[in-house]
Amino acid sequence: MCGILAVLGCVDNSHAKRSRIIELSRRLRHRGPDWSGIHCHEDCYLAHQRLAIVDPTSGDQPLYNEDKTIIVTVNGEIYNHEELRGKLKSHQFRTGSDCEVIAHLYEEYGEDFVDMLDGMFSFVLLDTRDKSFIAARDPIGITPLYMGWGLDGSIWFASEMKALSDDCERFMSFLPGHIYSSKCGALRRWYNPPWYSENIPSAPYDPLVLREAFEKAVVKRLMTDVPFGVLLSGGLDSSLVAAVASRHLAEVKSARQWGSKLHTFCIGLKGSPDLKAAREVADYLGTLHHELHFTVQEGIDAIEEVIYHIETYDVTTVRASTPMFLMSRKIKSLGVKMVLSGEGSDEIFGGYLYFHKAPNKEEFHQETCRKIKALHLYDCLRANKSTSAWGVEARVPFLDKEFINVAMNIDPEWKMVRPDLCRIEKWILRNAFDDDKNPYLPKHILYRQKEQFSDGVGYSWIDGLKDHANEHVSDAMLMNASFIYPENTPTTKEAYYYRTIFERFFPKNAARSTVPGGPSVACSTAKAVEWDAAWSKNPDPSGRAALGVHAAAYDEKVASLPAVNNSSSPNGLPQKKLQEGIVEATATSV
Amino acid sequence: MCGILAVLGSSDDSQAKRVRVLELSRRLKHRGPDWSGIYQHGGNFLAHQRLAIIDPTSGDQPLFNEDKKIVVTVNGEIYNHEELRSRLHNHKFRTGSDCDVIAHLYEEYGEDFVDMLDGMFSFVLFDTRDNSFIVARDAIGITSLYIGWGLDGSIWVSSEMKALNDDCEHFESFPPGHLYSSKAGGMRRWYNPPWFSEAIPSTPYDPLILRRAFENAVIKRLMTDVPFGVLLSGGLDSSLVASITARYFAGTKAAKQWGTQLHSFCVGLEGSPDLKAAKEVADYLGTIHHEFHFTVQDGIDAIEDVIYHIETYDVTTIRASTPMFLMSRKIKSLGVKMVISGEGSDEIFGGYLYFHKAPNKEEFHWETCRKIKALHQYDCLRANKATSAWGLEARVPFLDKEFINVAMDIDPEWKMIKPDQGRIEKWVLRKAFDDDEQPYLPKHILYRQKEQFSDGVGYSWIDGLKAHAAQHVMDKMMLNASNIFPHNTPTTKEAYYYRMIFERFFPQNSARLTVPGGASVACSTAKAVEWDSAWSNNLDPSGRAALGVHASAYEQQLNATTMPKVPSKLINKKPRIVEISSPGLTIRS
Repeated sequence: MCGILAVLGCVDNSHAKRSRIIELSRRLRHRGPDWSGIHCHEDCYLAHQRLAIVDPTSGDQPLYNEDKTIIVTVNGEIYNHEELRGKLKSHQFRTGSDCEVIAHLYEEYGEDFVDMLDGMFSFVLLDTRDKSFIAARDPIGITPLYMGWGLDGSIWFASEMKALSDDCERFMSFLPGHIYSSKCGALRRWYNPPWYSENIPSAPYDPLVLREAFEKAVVKRLMTDVPFGVLLSGGLDSSLVAAVASRHLAEVKSARQWGSKLHTFCIGLKGSPDLKAAREVADYLGTLHHELHFTVQEGIDAIEEVIYHIETYDVTTVRASTPMFLMSRKIKSLGVKMVLSGEGSDEIFGGYLYFHKAPNKEEFHQETCRKIKALHLYDCLRANKSTSAWGVEARVPFLDKEFINVAMNIDPEWKMVRPDLCRIEKWILRNAFDDDKNPYLPKHILYRQKEQFSDGVGYSWIDGLKDHANEHVSDAMLMNASFIYPENTPTTKEAYYYRTIFERFFPKNAARSTVPGGPSVACSTAKAVEWDAAWSKNPDPSGRAALGVHAAAYDEKVASLPAVNNSSSPNGLPQKKLQEGIVEATATSV
Repeated sequence: MCGILAVLGSSDDSQAKRVRVLELSRRLKHRGPDWSGIYQHGGNFLAHQRLAIIDPTSGDQPLFNEDKKIVVTVNGEIYNHEELRSRLHNHKFRTGSDCDVIAHLYEEYGEDFVDMLDGMFSFVLFDTRDNSFIVARDAIGITSLYIGWGLDGSIWVSSEMKALNDDCEHFESFPPGHLYSSKAGGMRRWYNPPWFSEAIPSTPYDPLILRRAFENAVIKRLMTDVPFGVLLSGGLDSSLVASITARYFAGTKAAKQWGTQLHSFCVGLEGSPDLKAAKEVADYLGTIHHEFHFTVQDGIDAIEDVIYHIETYDVTTIRASTPMFLMSRKIKSLGVKMVISGEGSDEIFGGYLYFHKAPNKEEFHWETCRKIKALHQYDCLRANKATSAWGLEARVPFLDKEFINVAMDIDPEWKMIKPDQGRIEKWVLRKAFDDDEQPYLPKHILYRQKEQFSDGVGYSWIDGLKAHAAQHVMDKMMLNASNIFPHNTPTTKEAYYYRMIFERFFPQNSARLTVPGGASVACSTAKAVEWDSAWSNNLDPSGRAALGVHASAYEQQLNATTMPKVPSKLINKKPRIVEISSPGLTIRS
């Protein structure tokens, strides 16, 4: 990942302004520790902090076209850049950077080239010939991007909110799959795949087509000139990523440079379920496995820094980000700059436990669509920012454009959880990699049920967080919460605790509006809360709350009485604002 | 390097205080990007940001003795830790970290163990048995350390000023070679070598002893579990470091893990003298050489960041830190965590050009002593903080305790510049490595004359800085300088420019008092300015100002076409101080 900051059309082009923009750009330095650059053209500034993954020696940014009339600052990876270069024969490239194609594509095709890019990206491109500019973000929002407006008429773009929140009068999260063009002065969506309409698809499930699509998605993400690894929690998704990556590693260039053994990483409290599960998978695949232990106290000590980095007060996101944030630091300290990660699978395949309660295939499908559209506010935000905090890049093969098209074109009937047919959640994905001749994973791992991320690192992690919050947030504080925080009012002490930290770093009204809210159970959208009447009473947003559907938890509950029961919380106040799903709510704010 | 922060005896032991200490400790994260730790015992906090060089997997800090009664947070490297461990057989060590010995040595020897440590270090040790603590800093101040006092009676100790300046009522630079003991309630010097008294030594010069001492100093610094390299400017000092490292590297543990070819690094404006000289040395030694080019604009854009990191407004230090700061970022991005560097040689051997004017061997020797004692405010500060800004550790073999003892015990008569005998500056060092059978360096490099660091990166660097400052500091600002900045008043626009930035980051009075001032010519101490009456008229503190002593500059002026520099010629001429900005003074060769 890199960090970008662009300020376009500011009244002031003094040295003081340049210094200020350099200073603000430094707030993104964790994203790109390797080098920085700034380009100033009259009243426009494009700044960049670089993490060098492809072409470390020459790809410093901003990047230019041949005659330097077009300047672009990019955060991202363009996986098909070689193919695109092939289409641009008449163009001369200055660097080996994958992002350089953007300037040339613009020159060749104007503003309509964005859909030609295969990858994750956010960029700002300035055309000095007519002083116009465009900004765009990848389809799903794997890379973060914010947009803001200054009182002097300037428009700002930044990879993270912290670089523009102090200098903009208003700002918001830049919508994924969109492009802003200064010529038309508005955002429009460039990403327009078949699934976006939320029509119910009817293509029958073909395991081999799905398998092949995912393998391709992983293989194209092995493009790197630096050491890399895989985040392996031992769950289905990360295990599949690791299995496919280790199978194809030998074929790629990076293996020749860095050895053909795959590095895998797992974090947990000592003795946690994830550590055990990941070790088993790592042993099976023969990877160089690194286990990282943390303590609840270390996690709590990191919370403020986590919230500063990930820029949200969403409870599940903060819980899940903290171990990932700690792990990323250790990964980076081992010299690894890039990791593959399993985000997105639960959204595409309806892997969350609450999907067990989906009433029909239509509801199921629409919920997956809503979840994918909201990913940029949750798991994409977490995966990107908690790794970028330490200059580690996370790549997410499940969110490959092609793969999503394939997976979201399957008749959702196949994705439904059907205990009668022995289909647990994500059955079609499991089945696609169930290869008896050349097994990707042992059967019991392939068909293992989901641990929610924050539970997998150790059950006492969330309990520890709650205890800590209970200790530092009094009942009186919570009682006044709806007055202090009328928007997205925290309903638990834990949420209140995170919120106070967030407000300290990002006090502006615009900042709190970038964070989604509304009722949710076990990561569901507000809409899906309607699936079960009992859910609306539960204020705990973690996966554990969707109790009764996780087999292991269920067994335990039956066997030993003192099972987890979060639904008895006295603060189970119903939410005020029942939004029609988060995505719609955000879209209207444009 | 790592970053340490300790707050001792605070009256506040709340969660809010812990969060505050964590937040302040994060201001040192650049020094130790790999992991962090905090230990709290009531109102006592020891925090640590770790750069893992030795034992990356288990050496996270703070460190403890066996029963966890003694806690220590350390920034540093203890080169003789294995030897010390073997002396402590009845102790059980928890980690493989070199710093682990400190807690155990304290247990065994009490407060008097510091001189047993061979290395660079700053540490805070807390003894929970009686709530006492000690703080110490290495002999020369290679690692940075500050001490401060809070209004609540707390004592603060931190690797950099930025972690304590906002919370202390008063703070200062912790003197090198000293120990603060809470029991004694004060500071005392533990470092007490023969040269410290500044008595004139009389040992005759023995090239082989000096050579051996320096080789040992380099070899012990090859102890590492991570990839490393050498900063190579192509000058004498860095070239010697590179040459010795290349020679002894093959046998070390690091070479087995990371390959036997040495990495060397050089920074400069395109076409700069250093780049050319370093390339030549690298080719001779067969290192994997990395050249980094920067532009004057890159450097100017970094100035604020540089001042924030190195925490000084000293003009020469900022000029020289900026290229080093930029280079460190690139080095780190290549995965290298440690570099060996040539600082200290000019102080020990009187390598600065102004030493040509030393009136006698006594003055010469005293000036070298003063320079070494001041290193922690200048080159040590620069080398440590410019690299630590990017999580890179710099090791400086010339400042090895043993080596200094040897080098400072030589009769200074030998160090004097004697053109009549063909002795240029640092002749004793050059001569020590002049080996015809197994040459360390080609003769012309071994006897090449000094480029001042900031000049070597490209002559237009300093000119660019001055031009930039002249553009942004008005004449009327300069008129008021003495009223605005009564302490260490900036006398040039460049100095004023740096000072404004410094004051923005560190507005406290204590902060500006940590930076040295006073008259200086070409890096001399104020005392040595007396050596030439003309010098006191010159405001520019760079090496170029000591003109008339650098042979190549002089030749140019004379339009001399011939090859060999004849030092006698130059010394007999009346040296002239030339106005720096005048275009006649182009030293380009």
